[in-house]
Amino acid sequence: MNDILFHLVLFVAIGAGIVALAAFYSEPDDAKALPGLPRRFAVFALGCGVLALLLVVAGHTVASVR
Amino acid sequence: MALETGRSGRGDANVAAILTWVIPGAGHVYLGAPLFGIAAFLVVTGLYLLGIRLSEGMAFEFLQTDLRSPIAPILTPEVGNLSAVIWHMRTYGFGPSFPRPWPAHIDLGTFLTACSGLLNACLACKAHFDARVPQGMHSKKPSPGLLVLAGWILPGLGHWLQGRRLRGAIVFVVVAGFVVLGSVLADGANLDRERHFYYWSGQFLAGAPAWILEVLHGHALVRADIRYVDAGLAFGAVGGLLNILAWLDVYSVAEREGLKHLEPEARPAPEVVA
Repeated sequence: MNDILFHLVLFVAIGAGIVALAAFYSEPDDAKALPGLPRRFAVFALGCGVLALLLVVAGHTVASVR
Repeated sequence: MALETGRSGRGDANVAAILTWVIPGAGHVYLGAPLFGIAAFLVVTGLYLLGIRLSEGMAFEFLQTDLRSPIAPILTPEVGNLSAVIWHMRTYGFGPSFPRPWPAHIDLGTFLTACSGLLNACLACKAHFDARVPQGMHSKKPSPGLLVLAGWILPGLGHWLQGRRLRGAIVFVVVAGFVVLGSVLADGANLDRERHFYYWSGQFLAGAPAWILEVLHGHALVRADIRYVDAGLAFGAVGGLLNILAWLDVYSVAEREGLKHLEPEARPAPEVVA
């Protein structure tokens, strides 16, 4: 499998687990926690995407090692 | 949590928990349950001493030289038993400056010292709860400390015993799944405390799935580069750390339910004198 694709699959797996347990921790009622999972995951993925973008930009500018 | 301490409780919940952290069982002695406190001290400290005997006190010699410092044990499970870990560091520390062979049962020994720390943390949970149960009463619900212990031994079991079965099943799938996936990615190299001291500490919190995998695959020789070892280490440690969230969830519900369902302790019937 393509390496980047494999890393994306791993990211989705670990992100889904983190989001699921964080949702259950913050919402005691399962019936309310479960429907909120997709939105929580989208926010998590978006946040990680922004962070990754900032790191790439920094890697090519202020934190470049070339 | 302890802000809800009522005056009708047996003592200050925070004091009871901190005393237990410092000396196993001391919290229960403070709460007026000396027999339980002494028994708890014997079990928790005995476990640590047995671990020390098997490992010859060499657990912290697993650490690479650049990671050694007086505060290095803070991120280990042993820190749950504070007096034992301080004594361990003062007596054995990081060993002599030259490498030496590990004792035959060092893995079992360091596992037992780690278990002692986690067991004492569960005992501190119990002391924190017991402090708020009024004198002469007891809770009809299982002790929060016991449920946290169950959730450590088998992820999700604490929720399951509370009747929150869907949540328990999801916790099990996530935590055990992460440890299994991590072990596959790291080819079992993540399961060895000697190789990955701190990642092992995180993974240890995942309970039986991590322990069983370690027994089965944890100490094989690494003969080649493992391509996804970093991802494997991350998955294993994150699985264990996520189990802490599950324990907190179990504890908070058990605490609320336990204090709601109190009943008088059964007392022996008075003897009738003819």
